[in-house]
Amino acid sequence: MNKRFKSGLLTSLNPTRYNLERWSYTLHRITGVILALFLIAHIFEIYHVTLGIAGWNQTIAELSNLGVFELIGMWIIAGSALYHGANGLRLILNELFGLLLGKPRLPEYPYSPMSLGRNQKIVIYAITIIVVAIWIWAGLYLLAGLGIVRW
Amino acid sequence: MKVRVLRNDGSKQWWQEFSVESSKRATVLDLLLNIRETQDHTLAFRHSCQMGSCGSCGIVINGKPSLACQTRISELKSETIRIEPLYSYPVIKDLVVDLNDFVNKHRSVKPYIIRKNPQELEEAPMEFRVTSAENMSFIQYDYCIMCGLCVAACPTVALDPQFIGPQALAQAYRYIADPRDEGFKERKAELDTSHGVWRCHFAGACSYVCPKGVDPAQAIQLLKREIYKRMFVRGPKVGAPVSVLAKQEKPISNQPKAPPLDFKSGVNQNE
Repeated sequence: MNKRFKSGLLTSLNPTRYNLERWSYTLHRITGVILALFLIAHIFEIYHVTLGIAGWNQTIAELSNLGVFELIGMWIIAGSALYHGANGLRLILNELFGLLLGKPRLPEYPYSPMSLGRNQKIVIYAITIIVVAIWIWAGLYLLAGLGIVRW
Repeated sequence: MKVRVLRNDGSKQWWQEFSVESSKRATVLDLLLNIRETQDHTLAFRHSCQMGSCGSCGIVINGKPSLACQTRISELKSETIRIEPLYSYPVIKDLVVDLNDFVNKHRSVKPYIIRKNPQELEEAPMEFRVTSAENMSFIQYDYCIMCGLCVAACPTVALDPQFIGPQALAQAYRYIADPRDEGFKERKAELDTSHGVWRCHFAGACSYVCPKGVDPAQAIQLLKREIYKRMFVRGPKVGAPVSVLAKQEKPISNQPKAPPLDFKSGVNQNE
């Protein structure tokens, strides 16, 4: 791996000592990579339809007998999709409509950037609470599929 | 107080530890000056005004890009201070980084007022009127001292060195938001690219570390909105230069003249 890229990657993925939005950015990137890998695997799965009815049925049968590790994988994908989607909506509000950013003003000491202000933080916390709640629900739903939890 | 500095001689880098005695009111720049004066005169770092105005003493202190002259030791709350050169810049020596690319990116967004008729600026026959409300829409971004901390904090610049960076993008918006400017199309060619404004994913670290409260993250998101908006809607009508004097009832030549100074009658009229 290129030395410059390696140090850049480490700098990029290290949000410690920074603001809440930077943590949100890091999580958005990581969940994005997970979803991209999942999409590649999903396209590979869909490709089995070209093997005919028997091949497709065999694939479906294999996928329906998921073990614990596959379920954990699905749970991580569910969490990634939830967080990436919800945070993506926040970013659309920011970037497309310029919302939650405040208005430019004369900087006054001690400086507190308007774009990282109270509104932005409320939305990030709300997203986190909603995503975690749905993610726990999704986990219980998956465990119910294994018969560990009664639904 | 222990100070760990990431030294660099251009070919290799290593950590060097110094023990420095200092008061809690001292700044990190005071520590570095002390080290250079009493322990190692080869330690290289930039500094100038020592009051947070020039932006030349930008370094990474305990993992956060900061101005050395504006960071007090007491606010760090640690017995060991870790000092590194700014991230994402090529290092020349020790804490001195190469800012050429940074300055070139700043230049590339044309950080000055552009008029379709350049004569209006070069010969400046009249004033361009800017109201207080209009001024407030961009004055915040005028406070940039080009210290480069925002670029060092940006996670996107860390991965994509070609990304134009938060400083230059904020300056581009500063001039696009200016009611006197007519250079949107010229700047758009530089900004509306894969390494331009769309590469920003709004981590907000640039605004978090800015020592002057410029808020580049806000400027960049507003710039994105402006580019989207102008795909469908024409930009605001830019006014021609106006003369404040022309609106007065009497031309300046007809106004009563101040009485001529009487140099012969003495220096102090009160005596």
